[in-house]
Amino acid sequence: MIELIEVAERARTGPRLEEKKWNLTLFRKMQELIKEYDLSSRGVEEFINTDDHLADDAFEAALDFIVDVGAYCITTNRVIHFDEEEVRKAVREAPDQVLMGEGIDARVFKQGIVDGCKPININPGHHAPFTEDLGPLVAKNFAQIPRTDFIEGFNFPIVDGRDVYDQPLEAYAAIREVAWMREGVRKAGRPGLAIVLYPISTRASSLIAPMNPKLGLRPTDGLLMSTLPDVKVEYDHITTAIVFSNYGYFAVNGSFGMAGGFCGGPEGAMIEGIVRPIIGYIAYGDSLHYTGVEHLAYVMGERIVLHPVNWARSVVFQALSRNTNMIYMEWNITCSELCTETGLLENALRSIEATVNGAALYAPRVSRARMNAGQTPVEPEFMIEVSDATVKAKLKREEAGKILQQIADRLKGRSPEKGKTIQECYDLVKHKPSNEYQEIYRKVKKDLVDLGLEFQYT
Amino acid sequence: MLKTSDYITRLREAIMHYDADEATKVAKEALKAGVDPVEAIEKGIAVGIREMGERFQRFEIFLPHLVMASDATTDAMEVLVAAIPEDRIGLVKRGRIVVGTVEGDLHDLGKNVVVMMLKSAGFEVFDLGKDVRTEVLVERAQELDADLIAVSSLMTTTRPYQRELVEELVRLGLRDRIKVLVGGGPVTREWAEEIGADGYGRDAVEGIAEAKRLLGVDE
Ligand code: B12
Repeated sequence: MIELIEVAERARTGPRLEEKKWNLTLFRKMQELIKEYDLSSRGVEEFINTDDHLADDAFEAALDFIVDVGAYCITTNRVIHFDEEEVRKAVREAPDQVLMGEGIDARVFKQGIVDGCKPININPGHHAPFTEDLGPLVAKNFAQIPRTDFIEGFNFPIVDGRDVYDQPLEAYAAIREVAWMREGVRKAGRPGLAIVLYPISTRASSLIAPMNPKLGLRPTDGLLMSTLPDVKVEYDHITTAIVFSNYGYFAVNGSFGMAGGFCGGPEGAMIEGIVRPIIGYIAYGDSLHYTGVEHLAYVMGERIVLHPVNWARSVVFQALSRNTNMIYMEWNITCSELCTETGLLENALRSIEATVNGAALYAPRVSRARMNAGQTPVEPEFMIEVSDATVKAKLKREEAGKILQQIADRLKGRSPEKGKTIQECYDLVKHKPSNEYQEIYRKVKKDLVDLGLEFQYT
Repeated sequence: MLKTSDYITRLREAIMHYDADEATKVAKEALKAGVDPVEAIEKGIAVGIREMGERFQRFEIFLPHLVMASDATTDAMEVLVAAIPEDRIGLVKRGRIVVGTVEGDLHDLGKNVVVMMLKSAGFEVFDLGKDVRTEVLVERAQELDADLIAVSSLMTTTRPYQRELVEELVRLGLRDRIKVLVGGGPVTREWAEEIGADGYGRDAVEGIAEAKRLLGVDE
């Protein structure tokens, strides 16, 4: 693998380029590659791709992008170049499994298998905003979910009654975040469970602050260190990566392509969704990647956009599965808010889709989450149930795609539903959803049974 | 001999095909043929770029298309504005806006959308990028004699820099001259009022309406 310090050096000495020029170069190259490899989604009706050649072509297009264009460092406004051999070697060497956590709570997080009909790895949550009073209690509730492989921290606007703002407070808040997480997993009776630091800010100071094997992050824990959209990286993360990788921590990369952004439509986003995990591994040493394709309007919580975004996402997963060892995940975000039927339907769609594509499932959350209204333990519990039911039904891509189509029909024409806060629909002391949420849960589950899923518990 | 309406159509189409060279060429030809530059801007360029903004809103085109269309707009505008006599310049000037994402914040997708939509509404926009320190926002606004600073913040931890901006303008005695428009995920109307900003937009469309209100543009 190219050493991280070598990446740092190239970021410092590579050719200079204005950011705006980079953005347009990226767009043009994506357009060119879509044509060259014939990756258009036009005419595709499937929700899940079944054309393996197309997945392989998308992968080659992504490699071409990295070799011909590279990555962009926003700190130095320079382009980082890699040659083909370096990139192919990195792809071969990227780990296909990560051992995380300690003692009996240790878990192996692996690359899934397309059409594998195997249970997948799970991160049940956080990566959402909560207030400090809920901190350890929320963490405990998520750690109580049995299938949890690791849990991630969360962000909060106030710590010890003070605004979290500027470097000193950000570093302090990062330390508190990890302390609450550790307290939470202990209270759940799983002290060894792996924790992933959710950055309060991405300054190196606040990322490195909570590193402490006794009270903070242990070397069997991890941190979120995402590449930026449009294949960009930055110094603070390279610095942090150099520090953390020296001590054995693992790192997670948010790397989906954003349809509607500079990469263009779903096809450009598809190439970006393959490029960024590779860049994340090379530039930051990331080994888990939540990737795929999302749509600007969906992320903004404005509109439930499905096909062909689902299709493009499946191409990303399949391309990574077939051509790399990399561990990829799907972020289970929903436009609709908590305690809504639409929210659970969106969740189900992604849970089935991820499982069939061999993607681990990552942090279900409302896409534009309000404070204390991003997630409850209900969504991950539901996500796991649906994923396991998909495995039990031995659903393969084609059949699963048809079910997705039916779920999509139910969502058609619906606007994102407004919902509740966690306190309004979940009892964190009793670890129990409100009656209303339970009702909705049962209703959606029944709906899925009618579509052919078989749940272990009714 | 081409008619005024032909030049106007060609200008609009050049913008809608992101063709900066063609837009500049047609602008020059139009002037030579005696077309009123104000009319060429209002009926040709402005209509073209506004249509592109609407297409983006409907997600029919994407950010890079809007960037290219607005580059074409800027180039053609340069030619046409230079030909407008001083006393009529007010007819096409809608105000100068400095935009940026606040310090510590690297989220720029929303800001980019706002920049492009403001441009498509005919404002003169200077995009300072992301992670921009308050002093820089203020300095550039002064240098450019801007009417408005529009700031984006996507994190509760960076939102306080919007307050800092208002305070800095007050401290420098610039508050009456430069208006402040705020937006981004954790930003609300209540927050805007609390910090004494002049306007707030939940999304780019609201942002444009606010900018028009603040700069006295009526349509
Ligand atoms: C995409 C994203 C990222 C991308 C950013 C890419 C980029 N170049 O912008 C990446 C992965 C890099 C990222 C990184 C981080 N992110 Co982030 N990110 C998001 C996400 C999912 C979407 C934001 C987005 O782009 N939306 C699409 C655009 C088009 O919408 P928008 O920004 O809301 O803009 C619209 C309106 O708000 C408005 N608007 C915006 N600005 C302005 C300005 C004016 C003047 C006006 C009028 C209107 C206006 O108009 C826009 C268009 O309609 C949000 C969650 C969410 N759904 O909002 C989290 C979110 C913003 N991120 C968050 C965090 C914490 C981070 C990180 C610290 C941790 C991490 N995830 O790694 C880092 C921080 C990096 C940094 N130093 O800034 C938190 C912020 C929490 C908080 N403290 O408040 C959020 C809310 C997620 C959460 N946990 O709930 N993130």
